[in-house]
Amino acid sequence: MIEIRNVSKSLKKGWYALRDIDISINKGEFVFLTGPTGSGKSTLLRLIYMDIFPDKGEVAVVGFLSSTIKKHEIPFLRRRIGIIFQDFKLLQDKTVYENVAFALEVTGGSGRKMREKVMKALTLVGISHKRNEFPYRISGGEQQKAAIARALVREPFILLADEPTGNIDTEASMDIIKILQEINTSGTAVLMATHDVYLARKMGGRVIRLDEGRMVEW
Amino acid sequence: MFIIREALIGLYRNGIMTLIAISIMFFSLFLFGLFLVGTFNLFGIIKVAREKVEINAFLREALQDGARDELIRKIETMVGVKSVEYVSKEQALEEFKREIPNATSLIEALKTNPLPPSFKIKLKDAFTSPDKVEEVASKLNIFSEIETVEYGETWIERLDQVVRVLFVFDVLLGIVISFASVFVVSNTIRLTVLARRQTIEVMKLVGATERTVQAPFILAGMIEGGIAGAISAGLLYLIYRLITIFFVKYYFPTIPIFIGMFVFGLILGFIGSKASVKSTSMEVSFATSYI
Ligand SMILES: Nc1ncnc2c1ncn2[C@@H]1O[C@H](COP(=O)(O)OP(=O)(O)O)[C@@H](O)[C@H]1O
Ligand SMILES: [Mg+2]
Repeated sequence: MIEIRNVSKSLKKGWYALRDIDISINKGEFVFLTGPTGSGKSTLLRLIYMDIFPDKGEVAVVGFLSSTIKKHEIPFLRRRIGIIFQDFKLLQDKTVYENVAFALEVTGGSGRKMREKVMKALTLVGISHKRNEFPYRISGGEQQKAAIARALVREPFILLADEPTGNIDTEASMDIIKILQEINTSGTAVLMATHDVYLARKMGGRVIRLDEGRMVEW
Repeated sequence: MFIIREALIGLYRNGIMTLIAISIMFFSLFLFGLFLVGTFNLFGIIKVAREKVEINAFLREALQDGARDELIRKIETMVGVKSVEYVSKEQALEEFKREIPNATSLIEALKTNPLPPSFKIKLKDAFTSPDKVEEVASKLNIFSEIETVEYGETWIERLDQVVRVLFVFDVLLGIVISFASVFVVSNTIRLTVLARRQTIEVMKLVGATERTVQAPFILAGMIEGGIAGAISAGLLYLIYRLITIFFVKYYFPTIPIFIGMFVFGLILGFIGSKASVKSTSMEVSFATSYI
C-alpha cells in the first residue's frame, strides 16, 4: 500500500531531516511512528501525502509515485488518505457536522447520500450528539474525534495521524487511540506519529522509531 | 452550492475591503461610461451635421424646365454629389419668410421677388470636408447658368478632429481603468485568500482540486466587478433621465450600456481575482502551521 524506498529529504541546505528511509506498510496495518521531537516524523508523513517530495529515493502510495505524480493528481491521492493533526484543523465558523460535510462538499458530494455518510462517520467516532456544536464549544478530545470523522468520511485506505493526542489530556488520549484501533479493526490502516515511545510500546504492535532522521527500529 | 456560499462569506468577512474595491471599480467604470456616452453623442452630432452640408448654387435667371433638368442631370453625375434639389424663386421667398419672419413686411414692400432660383446640392459623406466642398464648388462655377456658389459648415471638420482625439482618449482611459480595476480586485481578493487560508488549508487536505480551491475567490472577484458595473450603468442611466427631463435629449443605448458595463465589470473582476488567487493560494500550505 505504502512503499518508502531509500528516501532522503533535506529541508535546510546541507542538512537532512530524513536519511535512507525504507518502510513498507501493508493493507490494514497499525503502525506507530515514534522518536523524539525533531526526529523527522512529520516530515515522513508529509512525504506520504505528497506535500513535499524526496530528494533521493521514491515514495509509492496506492499507485501514485512521488517521481511521476502530476500536481493536479495530488488531490486524488489525498482523497484516498485520511489525515489528522495535533491541532485538529477544524474550521471555527462551521459546526462539527458542517466540518465533516465540508470534506465531501469540496470533492463534489451533496444531497442525501452525503448526509448519510457524514452521520455514519460521526456515529463511528461517537460524536453525533455534538454535531451542531461549534469546535470552540467542545473539548479537545471531542474536536479530535470530529477531525477523525472528517478524515474517515471518504473511507480512506489509511489514516495518517500526526501526534493526534498531543493537545489533549491522558484520559481523552486513550479514548482517541481506542477509536483509532477500532477503525483499524474494520480494515483501515493507521500510521500514528507520536514522540511518546512509551505509549507506542504499551499499545503493542509494530513500532518504527526514528532518531535524527534515521530509522533505528522498524 | 458551497462555491457561492464560500464566495459570499469571503466578501462579507472582508466587508470594508470589498466596499472599497467595489467603490473604486464603480467610479472607474462610471467615468469610462461617461466619456463613452459623450463620445457617442458627438459622433451622432457629426453624422447629422454631415448630412446638412450643402452647396447653394444660385442661377442667373429662371431656366426653362428642359434646360433645368439637363443641368440637374449634369450636376448629379459630378463626383461627390449625393442629390440636387431645385429651389424656385417662389420657394426661396417662402423659405426666407419662414426663416426671418421680421423681414416679411420689408419683402412685401418690394413688390417684386429679389431672390434668385438655386440648386440645393447635398454631398456624399466623404466629400464634406472643407477642401472637398471647395473642390466641388469650384467645378460648379464652370456652368455659365450658375452665378454664385455658396457653402459653409467648415466647423464640422474641426469637431471631427476633436472627436477623433476624444476617441483615442476613451481608449486610453479604458486601458487605465482596466488596469486600476484589475489592481484593486487582485488586492482585495488577495486579502480574502489570506483571511481564508485555514479554509484553503483544509480544502487541500481533504483533496479539493486547485480549481475548486480557487473558484470561490474568482467568483467573489466577479461579484465585485459585476456589482460595480451594474451600479455605474444605473447611475449613467439616472443622469441620462435627469438631463433628458431638464435639458436636452441625447443618445443613450440603455440596454447595451447595462449589459456592457456589467460584463466589463465581470471580466475585470475575473482577471483581477484570477491573477491573485493563483499565486496567493499556492503560498498557503498546511505544512507551515505545525512542527
Ligand atoms: N520547513 C522546514 N524548514 C526547515 N527545517 C524544517 C522544516 N520543517 C521541519 N524542519 C526540521 O526538520 C526536522 C524534522 O522535523 P519534523 O519532521 O517536524 O520532526 P518531528 O515531527 O519528528 O518532531 C526538525 O529539525 C525541524 O526543525
Ligand atoms: Mg511533528
